[in-house]
Amino acid sequence: MRKKLDYHLEDPTWCNGCGIYAIFDALKSTAVSLKIEPEQLVIVTGIGCHGRLNNYFKAYGFHGLHGRVLPVATGIKLSNPELHVVAVSGDGDAYSIGMGHFIHSLRRNISITYLVVDNRIFALTQGQTSPTSRLGFVSNSSPYGSREYPLDGPQLALAAGGTYIARGYSGEPSRLAALIKGGMSHKGFALIDVLSPCVTQNKVNTYTWFKKNIYYLEEDSSFNPRDKRKAWERTSANGKIPVGLIYQEEKPSFEELVLPDREKPLVFNDLKISIKKFNRILEKFK
Amino acid sequence: MKINYTSVMIAGKAGDGVLFTGNVLAKILKMSGLEIVTYRDFPSNIRGEPTNYTIRASIKRIYGRADKLDILLAFDCEAILRHEKKMAKGGVVLCDGEDFIEIAPSVTNKVTHHKFLLKKLARENFGKKIFKNMIALGALSYILDLDSSIIKQVISEMFLEKKGEGVVQKNINAINLGFEEAKKIIEERYRHVLLRKKEKNRLFLSGNEAIALGALAAGCRFFAAYPICPATEIWQWLAINLPQFNGIVIQTEDELAAVNMALGASYAGVRTMTSTSGPGASLMMEAFGLSGMAEIPIVVAHVQRTGPSTGMPTKTEQGDLNQWVYGSHGEFPRIILSPGTVEECFEFTIQAFNLAEKYQCPVILLTEQDYGQNLRTVKKFDLSRVKIDRGKLLSQEELLKIKDFKRYEFTKDGISPRAIPSQIGGIHMVEGNEHNERGYRNEDSENRVKMMEKRMKKLKSASRELIPPKVWGEKDGEIGVIGFGSTFGPIQEAIKQLKERGIKAKFLQLRTLWPFPTREVDQFVSKSREIFVVENNFTGQLNTLINSQVRPVIKLKSIRKYSSDSFVPQEISIPIQRRSR
Repeated sequence: MRKKLDYHLEDPTWCNGCGIYAIFDALKSTAVSLKIEPEQLVIVTGIGCHGRLNNYFKAYGFHGLHGRVLPVATGIKLSNPELHVVAVSGDGDAYSIGMGHFIHSLRRNISITYLVVDNRIFALTQGQTSPTSRLGFVSNSSPYGSREYPLDGPQLALAAGGTYIARGYSGEPSRLAALIKGGMSHKGFALIDVLSPCVTQNKVNTYTWFKKNIYYLEEDSSFNPRDKRKAWERTSANGKIPVGLIYQEEKPSFEELVLPDREKPLVFNDLKISIKKFNRILEKFK
Repeated sequence: MKINYTSVMIAGKAGDGVLFTGNVLAKILKMSGLEIVTYRDFPSNIRGEPTNYTIRASIKRIYGRADKLDILLAFDCEAILRHEKKMAKGGVVLCDGEDFIEIAPSVTNKVTHHKFLLKKLARENFGKKIFKNMIALGALSYILDLDSSIIKQVISEMFLEKKGEGVVQKNINAINLGFEEAKKIIEERYRHVLLRKKEKNRLFLSGNEAIALGALAAGCRFFAAYPICPATEIWQWLAINLPQFNGIVIQTEDELAAVNMALGASYAGVRTMTSTSGPGASLMMEAFGLSGMAEIPIVVAHVQRTGPSTGMPTKTEQGDLNQWVYGSHGEFPRIILSPGTVEECFEFTIQAFNLAEKYQCPVILLTEQDYGQNLRTVKKFDLSRVKIDRGKLLSQEELLKIKDFKRYEFTKDGISPRAIPSQIGGIHMVEGNEHNERGYRNEDSENRVKMMEKRMKKLKSASRELIPPKVWGEKDGEIGVIGFGSTFGPIQEAIKQLKERGIKAKFLQLRTLWPFPTREVDQFVSKSREIFVVENNFTGQLNTLINSQVRPVIKLKSIRKYSSDSFVPQEISIPIQRRSR
């Protein structure tokens, strides 16, 4: 049996109190409880404070370009669907520069667990307004207050055909771990948008602020995450932010639909092909 | 008297059946044992604008377009005005136009013009306008003296299975009608009776198709791309065929996704490729650098079109050389291969995959719309000659023998061992940030210097394995011509034309554009009295590159074309004759 320590490579150096520590920890507990060997886990990260995560986590890692986490993760998953692929982005990486891939990955329903560390600000670049910052948000890039309306990741995911849509909160690590575990056990694309306070740059969306402004869906007996209409109502309602599993459904995943041989991952192919078969193909060019 | 070669143009409007008619004629000529080069000039829309299709056939080996046209078959009279000046002496023009006025041969450089009402004949005899294409083929078969059994064979292959004997016969009837009608109006002495050879098991395909075949043979099993002219045929072919070899082709949301997905798959251990053209290549530039920095192998087939911006999507150019030599921010090793023929498209694609994995860097296959989308006859590809070399990719057994695996280990040749996810003992990170030997981010300047030198020295040892330039023509010629890609054919012929005029010239075909073959170019330049650099762009990108990579040469003269058409031989031989001292 693996322990959390088996996935711990190095102590992180994020700011004390950063919400991402809870995500880092939840991911380790999930790996333990799902009995995932470090070699079978690939973590793909983008650009932002979250991008350091695979420097501290013992697993295969890919730290690529800003906004391109999901295509990279898709390429990995399709090459070897036996791997657990976790993609991590910030709100800038996911919803600003990487928005196109976000929508299309949902549409494809590829089995990737996508953690969006949503602190509602560009933190690594010293504090600029992000697509999830509220209207009027004051930052380095909007000193007179943001004039753009924010977007909502889970709501977009619902519209784009997402099959596992959740919102977690860094202030509640055990509930967060349960959502990540659910996502990693889900067949298809799993979005877990994590409300995650930035203690250094964002003085508005603090732990205290989030505590006041969220509510837990699991505590509401009238809510059912299998009901898409209800999920839409909750994600589009003004007021408190719903946290928990928002929506889940079963649908064939992209790798199931696209891979010719589900028993044999592409990566284990013998690259040599038969001369006879090749010559038969050449006949078509005669 | 029988002739050795011909160049036939079929011209009309997009949607007229120019492509269909041209393809059937090309196939018939191929089956007649001739060497074929096709050239399509078509707009980037589906219907309405002028289009033409030239089929050049020859008993001898050819690689590009001819200087002149021998036969012009025009579906409307407007096409004649556009192409009349390209007609060779003794040429034949057929025009399907009521408003056509016959011109006496003597008036126009001994070109004979004939009114040939294809649509009218089709309607009257077959009830449908569409049969005009077959009637046109019949007329051409009279002029060129094509073998009726070969025609029947080609038509049967096209229609028998899908549409049945009745349709085959109706089409043959239309061809026969065209033959008889042409015989009525074109005198025997104006025919271009073409020699034939026995067809010997050759292939007839485009550069794009050859790249796709090369990718399959090289073991590419993951292909991701976004639709773009003129590269899409590579994808289309792989989309049909890769799944039969447990491979996949993914249509991505954009080129950013295509190249990053390919990088993900390559990191996971699959041989991957993407294909694109100018605009897509611009979007791929950032990930091109990631491939270099993180040392993830990737092959990008770039079929050049006319730029900049959206430019002319279905026309040819060599304007994107600089993009790959200098492109993306920062500095990293890269390999750029430039096939000059369809055979080389196949061979170089296989090399590209081997080089990418061996040197763990991006490899660009730089081709052009010219031979990318047009067809050539080639010798059958030989799979038994294909070697797959995966470089320092470790097997699980090899990895277990290594005590302390470091993905970016400092080695003598700069190339480090490579492990893939799922392997025991291979855990590492691939990093777009500067990193240490284990792949973890490191901004220490001492490490930076070592890492930079590690990456950059990888290609130093590669020079012996890269595809060297090739010298053609008169080895002791005092005129030297340098070119790459589609200029291969026209330069070869230009050299022959110069020889006929008493000028001895040789040709250096560059086949690896980066790392630049400095030694070979330097040698070639020093052994020539004068050098002409031929390229399909405005600014002379190759010319500039040569000047920056070899000892200062003042004798470089530049021959450039940027009309969106490829060169014909005289466009090279005439300037050389005029400008050489």
